[in-house]
Amino acid sequence: MPKLIIDANKRRIIPDFKELFRYKDLFLTLSWRDFRVRYAQTTIGLLWAVLQPVVTLLILSLVFGKFVGVKTEVPHLLFTVAGMSIWTYFSYVMTNSGNSIIASQEMVKKIYFPRLIIPLSKAVVGFIDFGVALFILITLMIYFQVAPSSNIWAAPLFLFTGIIAALGVGIWLSALSVRYRDFQHVVPFLVQIGLYITPIAYPAEFATKQLPEWAANIYFLNPMAGVVQGFRWSLFGGTPPGQLMWVSVIMIGVIFITGLLYFNKVEKNMADYV
Amino acid sequence: MSSSKVAIKVSNLSKRYMIGKQKDSSLRGTLSSLFKAGNSSSDEFWALKDLNFEINKGDVIGIIGKNGAGKSTLLKILSQITAPTTGRIEINGRVASLLEVGTGFHPELTGRENIYLNGTILGMTRKEVKAKFDEIVEFSGIEKFIDTPVKRYSSGMYVRLAFAVAAHLEPEILVIDEVLAVGDADFQKKCLGKMQDVANEGRTVIFVSHNMSAVKSLCLKGIVIKNGTLAYSGSVESALTYYNQASCNPNLFFNTSDFTKRSRGMHDIYIKSVEIDKTVYSVNSSISFAIVLDQTTDFVGKLNLAVFIYDSLNNVVYQLSTLLLGVEVGYNIERSYKFSCNELRLSGGVYKIGVWLEGNGLEQDYVDEDLYFEVDSSSIYPNKSAKIVSIVQREFDFQIVS
Repeated sequence: MPKLIIDANKRRIIPDFKELFRYKDLFLTLSWRDFRVRYAQTTIGLLWAVLQPVVTLLILSLVFGKFVGVKTEVPHLLFTVAGMSIWTYFSYVMTNSGNSIIASQEMVKKIYFPRLIIPLSKAVVGFIDFGVALFILITLMIYFQVAPSSNIWAAPLFLFTGIIAALGVGIWLSALSVRYRDFQHVVPFLVQIGLYITPIAYPAEFATKQLPEWAANIYFLNPMAGVVQGFRWSLFGGTPPGQLMWVSVIMIGVIFITGLLYFNKVEKNMADYV
Repeated sequence: MSSSKVAIKVSNLSKRYMIGKQKDSSLRGTLSSLFKAGNSSSDEFWALKDLNFEINKGDVIGIIGKNGAGKSTLLKILSQITAPTTGRIEINGRVASLLEVGTGFHPELTGRENIYLNGTILGMTRKEVKAKFDEIVEFSGIEKFIDTPVKRYSSGMYVRLAFAVAAHLEPEILVIDEVLAVGDADFQKKCLGKMQDVANEGRTVIFVSHNMSAVKSLCLKGIVIKNGTLAYSGSVESALTYYNQASCNPNLFFNTSDFTKRSRGMHDIYIKSVEIDKTVYSVNSSISFAIVLDQTTDFVGKLNLAVFIYDSLNNVVYQLSTLLLGVEVGYNIERSYKFSCNELRLSGGVYKIGVWLEGNGLEQDYVDEDLYFEVDSSSIYPNKSAKIVSIVQREFDFQIVS
């Protein structure tokens, strides 16, 4: 028979991963629910998932490719969609997991389960966006007759890093916004500026060569800078991502781990604050 | 006592809430408090203070207390929704808590999908839900609509489905809040029946309710909580007696000038106190309500008063009102007013009192929180074992005519 001890003096610092695993069915059910209801009651349904990235893509390509005249090794449209695929995943998951605890507050106040399941479960529904972007990407690759580079093996690694980055930021935001609703207003802002300060519609070198070295380091503190650059390199090859990419990767690790620890710290009393 | 017999052991349990300004959930609040020395201005409120008790396996225990006594906080801590400030709890066995039915139901999903969703939220695995699926659907009685989105359900169907899922949990320990407050009388009976089954199977049930007759019929033991402390623990009858006596003394049910918390009315004049003569009445006893008013500004004019008596389903059973009588009532500082009723003629149960005040044609105040009285369910008739089944029991005659 299971034995449970609730002790006010003993607080765990590390999240209870065993318990988290026990609730894997809840994770699956919640992910699946998000899939089911995402386009419920919309007339054109999944078409929204296509329309949004296509329009963003065309605008970005128009501004950066035509107006600014950014030079890229592959056609600019293709270049941009590669970066955008992983960026849309990141921004969707970050936004939704960031808001997730507040959005599920009725549940949080009425029943116990590891709260971490809520932001984590948002990682799955984001694959709709990634899948759509990937589909556009492959279509354009066929159209422009660009073959994937020999670095393609690294693509899943960068995708995985992107997932961890999205969850890391999302977990931080979800925990913070329970206490400080201010962070609900930070999220759309982050998405907006992220689209420009991440090398999506231009190569990272384009930005770094115009910046002093210290500023280039700061540029790569943006966790997605390294991920987008690396993902694109794995698709099209070209100059491999430099050492600065590791700044992004280390940043992701730090954000994810501290996020887990902070979430774990505030989890116990979330129901009192939401 | 050997520990294997104990289902729940609570020692030195306390829960503190911070109220007032410092609780402050804004970023600015936290930032500014970083620069202030000592947060002495913070207000503490102990919802629970130094609670100690044990619940044995197989006990069916009712937790009784007024609103704000700390019952809900205790349930939340037992079900791990919130953490205690001090103390320790040992729980032997799997706990399922039902503080609400239908937690996490999504309106866009069908009944079938919501069974899975709600089941896993309540802690079942998908496999367990699948195994019980047919039983759940049958219990809910809505087979025909199982593939319809629940947003198209009537509220009755919704609650039935939600309860059906909850009823098929198989925990060793079941924690239930006032879920019975929802649904119609039939449904409430079904819920009580299901809980009785759970109790009969030898599982531990912890039940919180305002419905004294439900507590009495379901539970064997009772705990009375008063101001966050354990006031009494024992058999359910003695716990109920203790609770009733405690709230009988003094006879004021309600006495506060804290009208600011009440949302209804202008509060130029307000209800200062409402008093009834006792807390437990028999079916045919008389009852009177003494009302004292006070003012916030100099008030001159006419007023109307009404007393409403609600049953446990929130139906108004009686209305005693100056409007109905058509009398003119003037206001004077600290003047008191009284409604009386010769014979209650209500069947056993808990009734809520609501008092309404109007001054110069405007609603001034309305109180209905924490105002309850109970009618003893034992019959006044010669055949004591025949139950009164109606809400109102009229006086009546019977003749054999020919």
